[in-house]
Amino acid sequence: MNETLVEVKDLWHWYLRGTPLQTPALLGANFELVRSEIAGIMGHTGSGKSTLIQHFNGLLRPHRGSVRVLGADLGDAKTDPRPLRRRVGLLFQFPETQLFDPTVGDEIAFGPRRLGLTREEVRRRVRDAMERSGIPFEAYKDRYTFGLSGGEQRMVALAGVLALEPEVLVLDEPTSGLDPRGRRKVLNTLRSLHDEVGTTLVFVSHNMEDVAELVQRVWVLAGGKTVLQGPTRQVFTQVERLRELGLGLPQVTEVAHELRARGAPVRPDIITVDEAAEALWTSSTSRAV
Amino acid sequence: MDEFDFARSVTVGQYIPGTSIVHRIDARAKLIAFIGLLVATITQPSYIANVIAIIAVVVIVRASRIPIGYVLSGVRPVIPLLILYLIFNFLFLGNYDPTGSAVLWRQPIDIGPYHIAFTVTDNSLRQTVQGVARVIDLILLASVLTLTTTITATAKAVEWLLQPFRRIRVPGHEIAMVLAIAYRFMPTVAEELERLMKAQASRGADFGSPGAFRFVQRARQLIPVTVPLFVSAFRRAEDLIIAMEARCYVGGAGRAPVRLGPLNGLDWSAMAVAWAFALALSATRFPI
Repeated sequence: MNETLVEVKDLWHWYLRGTPLQTPALLGANFELVRSEIAGIMGHTGSGKSTLIQHFNGLLRPHRGSVRVLGADLGDAKTDPRPLRRRVGLLFQFPETQLFDPTVGDEIAFGPRRLGLTREEVRRRVRDAMERSGIPFEAYKDRYTFGLSGGEQRMVALAGVLALEPEVLVLDEPTSGLDPRGRRKVLNTLRSLHDEVGTTLVFVSHNMEDVAELVQRVWVLAGGKTVLQGPTRQVFTQVERLRELGLGLPQVTEVAHELRARGAPVRPDIITVDEAAEALWTSSTSRAV
Repeated sequence: MDEFDFARSVTVGQYIPGTSIVHRIDARAKLIAFIGLLVATITQPSYIANVIAIIAVVVIVRASRIPIGYVLSGVRPVIPLLILYLIFNFLFLGNYDPTGSAVLWRQPIDIGPYHIAFTVTDNSLRQTVQGVARVIDLILLASVLTLTTTITATAKAVEWLLQPFRRIRVPGHEIAMVLAIAYRFMPTVAEELERLMKAQASRGADFGSPGAFRFVQRARQLIPVTVPLFVSAFRRAEDLIIAMEARCYVGGAGRAPVRLGPLNGLDWSAMAVAWAFALALSATRFPI
């Protein structure tokens, strides 16, 4: 059942390798992804998150160590990464800057058209991807792409990747720079994609709230190495270690910790607002009784 | 070699920090010295002079302590052009040499009804060798200059050098500013290009070769990259304008002149050596 889709072992990568400006980006990172899970990659800016995920669909090749994705060994120079890119979708940070087609429908149809599908199939995929991303198909398919708001453009870019119907979807900070409503839309879309379609997700973020809400298993990167890993709840109990890494915790977890430190009987592993509300409610009613 | 590693092949516009003698020469002196060297190395008609020029350029690259392989990687992109130049020279200049110099080698080829020939004449060989040598000299010298000098120093030096021409309304400050901005954004645009190609490849785009002469397909393939690249370039330009306006930038008029320290012994000797070499090379008559 627990089929491993991505397996990264002791991965090293240098930028500008072979030039005087060579800088290491990954120095022995590890990662693993099993089918149908939502994995999270956390780490502060420059920790190697973006470099790591670019190995998942062969945009970058390992300089040392091994990367296996859907059974293909990317360390082997003969492996053609192109078939892999159809199965592993990757949404870059600020994807709205990659839009190019004047109309929304054509923009989203770019990927499916490259797959050589029939007209009807392309149309169906575009419609599905738009509806799932919360963009009404009929009302938006002929809208001018560059006239949309930033948040809408983000959803169009997301739909552009969804239309490829990938088995694995990797998202690099998909909620950064969005307003609360935009952020909610992205999270809901991802949640429904996972629950209804069964897509395996890799979610890169340094927003702890997003990670707490969506992610089941977390990998923490620091200085190009994997330094922490485990189920989200368990990782968030390692308060001191996370602070040391400059990452922090979800705000409700901070509050729970503060309350515990002051002697309140609050569970130590609270990571979402709902759990916090429940815990506070039980502790306040139990004290009253 | 990674598929999308462009930043690595863009050597122009990069600055590599260092403490070598070439790094330490003041940017003004370096510019004047390099102008002399450039003019001298690319105007030599003689074989021997060209060899001497190339040796001089290599010596300068060595003195800058920048790995010669890295500097040479700037030459790699122009190799196809140089080959084309070679073929055209032997095809046209060789066959219709106006100077009527001696034919050294001739190879007729028949392609269907067309009879053509590759001809190497004394004159066409000379022109070709010179052409290739000049291009290489030019790229190496320009690379060393930019790799060892910061953008700000270069811009100030240009502004300083253009000061005497202000009387004939040469906008020295503006030229320097345009140069500095163009330089500054070259690596940024290369990075952006890389990011966009990766993003579109992740959406199914294929930037493989559709065949050497299928220009339309090739151009169409690049639309998903060029459109966003221009969009972001214009956006960046607008942001830059606003940022400059916000700091009350009005160009050179009314601005305090650049003040740069005096040139030291190293600077004067660099200029003297460069120009002495340039004049000596140009004045000497070589046998071949």
